[in-house]
Amino acid sequence: MSFKINDYTNSAKLFERAAKVIPSGVYGHQGPAEGCYIPVSSFPLFSEKAKGSYFWDVDGNKFIDYMCAYGPNVLGYVDEEVNAAAFKQAQIEDCVTAPPKIMVELAELLVDTVASADWAFFAKNGGDTTTLSIMAARAATHRKKIIFINGFYHGVAPWCQKVDYPGVIEEDVSNNLYINWNDFDALEKVVAENEGEIAAYIATPYLHGNFKDNELPAEGYWQKVRKLCTEKGIVLIVDDVRAGWRLDLAGSDHFYGFEADLICFCKALANGWNVSALCGKEWLKSAVSGLTYTGSYWMSGAPFAAAIACINKMKAIDAPALFRKNALLLTDGLRAAGANNGFNLVVSGEPALFYLRVADKDENLMLHQEWVSECVKRGIFITNHHNHFMNASLTQDDIKQTIDVAEEAFNVLRKNHPEL
Amino acid sequence: MLGTLENLCELDPAASALLTNKKPLSIGFEVKNGPSATLTFKNGKCRMEQGAQNCDIKLPFSSCEKFNGLLDGTVTPIPSKGFTHIGFLLKDFQGLTDLLTKYMRPTPEDLEDEDFFVISTSLMFYTISVAISQIANNDKIGMFSADHMVDGDIEMSIEGGPAATVRVKNHRLVTIKCAPSNPRAVMHFSSVKLARDLFDGKVNAVASIGSGKIMMKGMVSMLDNLNRLLDRVALYLS
Repeated sequence: MSFKINDYTNSAKLFERAAKVIPSGVYGHQGPAEGCYIPVSSFPLFSEKAKGSYFWDVDGNKFIDYMCAYGPNVLGYVDEEVNAAAFKQAQIEDCVTAPPKIMVELAELLVDTVASADWAFFAKNGGDTTTLSIMAARAATHRKKIIFINGFYHGVAPWCQKVDYPGVIEEDVSNNLYINWNDFDALEKVVAENEGEIAAYIATPYLHGNFKDNELPAEGYWQKVRKLCTEKGIVLIVDDVRAGWRLDLAGSDHFYGFEADLICFCKALANGWNVSALCGKEWLKSAVSGLTYTGSYWMSGAPFAAAIACINKMKAIDAPALFRKNALLLTDGLRAAGANNGFNLVVSGEPALFYLRVADKDENLMLHQEWVSECVKRGIFITNHHNHFMNASLTQDDIKQTIDVAEEAFNVLRKNHPEL
Repeated sequence: MLGTLENLCELDPAASALLTNKKPLSIGFEVKNGPSATLTFKNGKCRMEQGAQNCDIKLPFSSCEKFNGLLDGTVTPIPSKGFTHIGFLLKDFQGLTDLLTKYMRPTPEDLEDEDFFVISTSLMFYTISVAISQIANNDKIGMFSADHMVDGDIEMSIEGGPAATVRVKNHRLVTIKCAPSNPRAVMHFSSVKLARDLFDGKVNAVASIGSGKIMMKGMVSMLDNLNRLLDRVALYLS
């Protein structure tokens, strides 16, 4: 079977318009630069509509989408149950002087669902919650320093960028300490060297960084981290913004058998409705209560209703189990498609957030970028630098079509590279 | 900046003409507690090497500020060696640096000449590509960027124009003024005009990637850090 090759004429035209009135046309991770659209001509730049596992671009091309809006699409785009709950709430009340009562219902649901949660604090984006977690840790410990894992991403606030990033000054990051993932000895060393000065250790539940294979926690790593943080009075923060709800509805810390002091959620929390949450242990509630931290839309009711509907639906269908099962089917098929054409497709990370890389002897990702480009041109939206996301609406037919497209893309690669 | 004289002599016949029918000569530049380099002029060409041990004329500078004064034209250096070659220094070398200044700080009228435009932009490209490595190895923030770069060659190139290799090895960078044979990452500008606009700050690199005018591929994390170094080049060269 030969798949249609997409045309992106309208995308290109709209990008030209956008570039005149929006910095860089499309900024951030959903733009062609940060999104690593290589080459740009293979990728759609704007969507027109979305439903389930698909979106349609402004040229009418349909995509099976494995980026899921970089995570929020967990049940399927425009999920009827979630949207019905949100629309109903919006008709009753949404952004009001006194917070909608549904906020308390969502907090109670989170405390009942997330294993390490004794309370919940709501905001809009994942970065709101990681920033809050750092402020809370500093307020609670009266210490300055924060331990990060090299290759981290915790948002875009200055404290979590790097000293060489435009707009960031040395003072923004002067209390940041960096160690490698899974290196407990390095953690012990940096803690000893900064005795009594470290407010928090922040990390994602496993290393799902960009441009390289994702790494799961080593056996016992998290348990040792937990013990050390407790002994040294260091707040253990899990940034579960990306992985949250896809591995375990009780939190990714629960999935790996430990309890965080603070855990950050966003993305999959409300299936695309704009709400994030920081959950935490009782002993930190007082510190958070004392912070000056709020926003105009942080207590809007409709996203709260969406989150409740989303969590309840994820529970009803056991979403993490579904993701794992389908992801293994998919990635096994993709790997086989590569092998059929003499290529080694490396799959890493947790299945629900699988990361792909076509192995090449030069380790320059160019072969992988070429394969991704051929897949996207044929209607499978994947990226060459980032982990992917499963969603509950993905069908067996979608998985089969994805594997078929991948096979055809590998065929093209084989023809383009007879020397390999 | 002085290293760009190599390219000036290749690109502009007027520059190489200043050196034609002249005996080979070398000028060493030595900054106290700082870097040193030697420019050798031979057969209408110029070559720069590290160190100033073997040179015909030696120009010592008591500080980096004094050396920068030479580049700005505010400091007249006094040779510690090679007084008999003072004529070359004052006439031919001065002629070359004046020509380089004309290309590096052009007037809008000069840039309307297409040949001048291409040479000027090419010289800027070489200067910037070399500065990237210098900043990565010597500037505190630049070293942070270099610390996050994996080993390999980065190709920087302009369609129909010059190319350079930025080689990364153990977080130290060196620039080679030709394209690599097996790059690990590539940043390619679609035209000399685009490169110029970028160097002049008229267009943004991120926006140009989106429009496809800058093509990148390979180990994009290397290019991320390269761009952070590029961002600091203006800080020094301005």
